Amino acid sequence: MAVVADAGSLYGLLAVGAGLATGLAGIGAGMGEQGIGAAVVGVVAEEPGFLGKGLFLMLLPETLIIFGLAVSLILMFAWTPFAGIVTP
Amino acid sequence: MPVLRLPKFGVPVKYAYITGRVRAMKTKLIPAEMYPRMMSMDLSEIARYLEETQYKDEIDALSKDYSGVELIEHATFANLAKTFRKLEEVAIDEPSFLILEYLRRWDVWNIKTLLRGKFYGANDTEIAKHLVPAGELSAEYLDELAKKGSISEIISAFDGTDYASALAQYDGKNLASLENALDKLYYFRLERSVGGTLSVGGGLLLKYVRREIDIKNLITLFRMNKAGVDAAIIQENLIPGGKLHDELSRMAGQPFGEFLRSLEGYPFWSSISDIATVDLDAVSRIEARLRAYLIRYAWALSNYHPLSILPVLGYMVSKETEVSNIRKIARGKDAGLPAELVEEQVVVA
Repeated sequence: MAVVADAGSLYGLLAVGAGLATGLAGIGAGMGEQGIGAAVVGVVAEEPGFLGKGLFLMLLPETLIIFGLAVSLILMFAWTPFAGIVTP
Repeated sequence: MPVLRLPKFGVPVKYAYITGRVRAMKTKLIPAEMYPRMMSMDLSEIARYLEETQYKDEIDALSKDYSGVELIEHATFANLAKTFRKLEEVAIDEPSFLILEYLRRWDVWNIKTLLRGKFYGANDTEIAKHLVPAGELSAEYLDELAKKGSISEIISAFDGTDYASALAQYDGKNLASLENALDKLYYFRLERSVGGTLSVGGGLLLKYVRREIDIKNLITLFRMNKAGVDAAIIQENLIPGGKLHDELSRMAGQPFGEFLRSLEGYPFWSSISDIATVDLDAVSRIEARLRAYLIRYAWALSNYHPLSILPVLGYMVSKETEVSNIRKIARGKDAGLPAELVEEQVVVA
């Protein structure tokens, strides 16, 4: 059976997936960071010397976005299942 | 009746700031190994040591007017009030509400101090020295109350508030029953206002407070059973609302040996088992151990619920204990008590 699909819309779906990967990772990281950020500000209010360590802890969930971004980039530029049907 | 408390999405995050802050504040508390060293210092050395700690501002400000034990007592109380007010101000929403509900105990303390001061004819500056404006009643309002001429004027100032019902019990001769009624009222109000919130945080606060009531009742039992007081009188003095209330009230009036045996197996038993014997000489030693148990309990609970009111509670209990330890050491030194006696009273968790 031949796959009947518009190559353009398939590529569009791919782009939506890439957007979701980065976007949802960003939302998740943000949710994680809100608690850590609040706690770090609380500690720094008492102990200004904690700022460096606190910032490091606060940026840990940020790594999640990098995973999301990596998946997006793969989807957009490296993973091309439709290479056969998408003709330039 | 057990109430189902469901965690609400986003609520723990409200605790992140305040728990982070109290955990940092906890590191500034006086370490346990300092107490024996303070015991070997004289009063001016203790004041100098306190100047190196979080009490610096208060010691500096008050050293113009006071010296020796007076300076230490005022500085510690002033710092306690300042610290607790700060906690209340920096918290938001639920934590702020729960902290205020807990801190109302200092309102009760202040009302008791006012009444006791007036009862024994102290003047207003003397009374004002022992007030801790850490609760809802402001320092200005308390000073105003201290200036009033008689006990009945102070009692009438509380007309229309929740305290009126307890204060109405004053018979002109005896403060003990009134003070007991105020304590009961505090716990009753806490249960009513916090129990109604249905939040997880409120439930955890109540869990700790119930244990605290049990420990208070237990100390009452130790004192009164040791003195051989009648069961009915003891039961009247127990504060209702504790988790073990029924079991403890059954122990009222028991002979001391039997009472000690019935305590075996309770979670607090291991912290007093080595000194709780029939020939126990001073209940205050038991009191110090149980107080230490309560602090450990609050911090242990807070490990299970890191983003909750419990670390704040643990800090507040630790801070109260620190202040009372410093005051005990200072007073003991001033009165020339033997070091071992003071050491027994110092609470180290």
